[in-house]
Amino acid sequence: MKKKIILVFAIILFLAIVAWMFRDLFTGSPELQKNPYDYGMKELRQTDTVPAYKEVTPLKPALTTITSIATGYDGKIYVAGKGGVDILDISGRILKSFTFPGYATCLTVMPDNTLVIGMGDHVELWDPSGVQISAWQPEDTTSVITSVAASQHKIFVADAGNKIVYQYNELGKLQARIGEKDPSRKIPGFVIPSPYFDVGISPAGELWVANTGRYKLEKYDNDGSLLTSWGEASVTLEGFAGCCNPSHFTILSDGSFVTSEKGIERVKVYSPDGNFIALVARPESFDEGTRGLDLAAGSNGRILILDPLRNQVRVFLPLKKH
Amino acid sequence: MDKQSRRQFIRLAVRGTLFGGIALVTGNLILRQGEPLFGKNRKSGPTVWQLNPAKCIQCGRCATNCVKTPSAVKCTHAYSMCGYCNLCSGYFKPGTKTLDTGAEKQLCPVSAIKRTFVEDPFYEYTIDETLCIGCGKCVKGCGAFGNGSLQLQVRHPLCDNCNECSIARNCPAGAYRRVPLSDPYLLKGFGKEKV
Repeated sequence: MKKKIILVFAIILFLAIVAWMFRDLFTGSPELQKNPYDYGMKELRQTDTVPAYKEVTPLKPALTTITSIATGYDGKIYVAGKGGVDILDISGRILKSFTFPGYATCLTVMPDNTLVIGMGDHVELWDPSGVQISAWQPEDTTSVITSVAASQHKIFVADAGNKIVYQYNELGKLQARIGEKDPSRKIPGFVIPSPYFDVGISPAGELWVANTGRYKLEKYDNDGSLLTSWGEASVTLEGFAGCCNPSHFTILSDGSFVTSEKGIERVKVYSPDGNFIALVARPESFDEGTRGLDLAAGSNGRILILDPLRNQVRVFLPLKKH
Repeated sequence: MDKQSRRQFIRLAVRGTLFGGIALVTGNLILRQGEPLFGKNRKSGPTVWQLNPAKCIQCGRCATNCVKTPSAVKCTHAYSMCGYCNLCSGYFKPGTKTLDTGAEKQLCPVSAIKRTFVEDPFYEYTIDETLCIGCGKCVKGCGAFGNGSLQLQVRHPLCDNCNECSIARNCPAGAYRRVPLSDPYLLKGFGKEKV
């Protein structure tokens, strides 16, 4: 009987030692795995604010690498990327695709549905049927074209390489250089530390530029004078989190702004005078490290977010009218 | 089953060793395919440890696992990629409101980054390697919000070049590898960065 007890005890002890060795070898202590120098990105990406939008089924373009999105005056969704453009309807059906050599970095649609495509160092105009109309290159070298915006006779091209916005006519003729540093006119110049430099046109026809090194959206008139600006650096929802935000923005029909950020990936709506209104998408909605969340305004208050990491157009619907 | 003779056992063991050896050599050759076996282009000569910034996840183990104190891994600055930001996310703690050099506002736990005014609104950031412990906190901040110009690198004058690097063994991202001593840095940048 005594022998039996010793045997059982020995087996239990043996199993306990094996279990301890297994844990030590393969799982490791959570304390040892913890980074004592953690930046705290997980905490920064958390928010208690409930979004005023809900996500519905995303749209999946045929392109394998997507970079930019725009909605046309015809209600169609235009997505550009590596080697081409996909034209989709709101249900996600691909209506038309066409290809071109090169990499589209940005895209907009003119009122006559002509596509203006930034190709890194030059601009191309395309017919929606896939026929190239024209192409031109900015006169400055080292151009890094990050955004285009267009009305019927004006095409604005943001060049992060030269920190300037060019204004062209529809024929590609340079009309104005906007935002160039000019102390005599009290224009401090754009501060663009990285290739995130967005432009947009409001429903009233005003030019807005994301001066990302100053964390502001700035309004310019036709002769390049700075009219007004808003925005501040802050990790709270009211501001833009650090350099170089807002990385993208779009302007809704009522003049309010939708902005997206990198670092803390979040999409928000601001009033026309720059007051925070609502959260569209939390940082947790995106994979950590996602950059280049281009935006477009869809029909019925939809906000379309291009997610380059998941290669999808994410669709967010307002829960109620603001 | 017949009992195995000593002679048979030795023969079997020799055959096993021979086949095992051939398999190892073949496997090694397959893994190193594309690399010339002979000639002047063959990678040879002394090698050292280096970490690939593209793989680095800033886990903090470069600071805690190196046999040297402080670690031989240091933050290095690829200036060609730097935006010279006023609000540098590698220098300031997240959420800092007033951008000055107060110690409580600095992200670096040992204040190893120096901030120097260039012109409005640009600042230059330099690393004091005597203070840097290689924790990678600034690298995380710079990479998350900025251009990723702050990067961790093994500084060879400080490294003991251990046969089995303690950091490499524990690196969860597999970012460490041997590189030729003649080209010992793996900095990402727009130009050939001077280290």
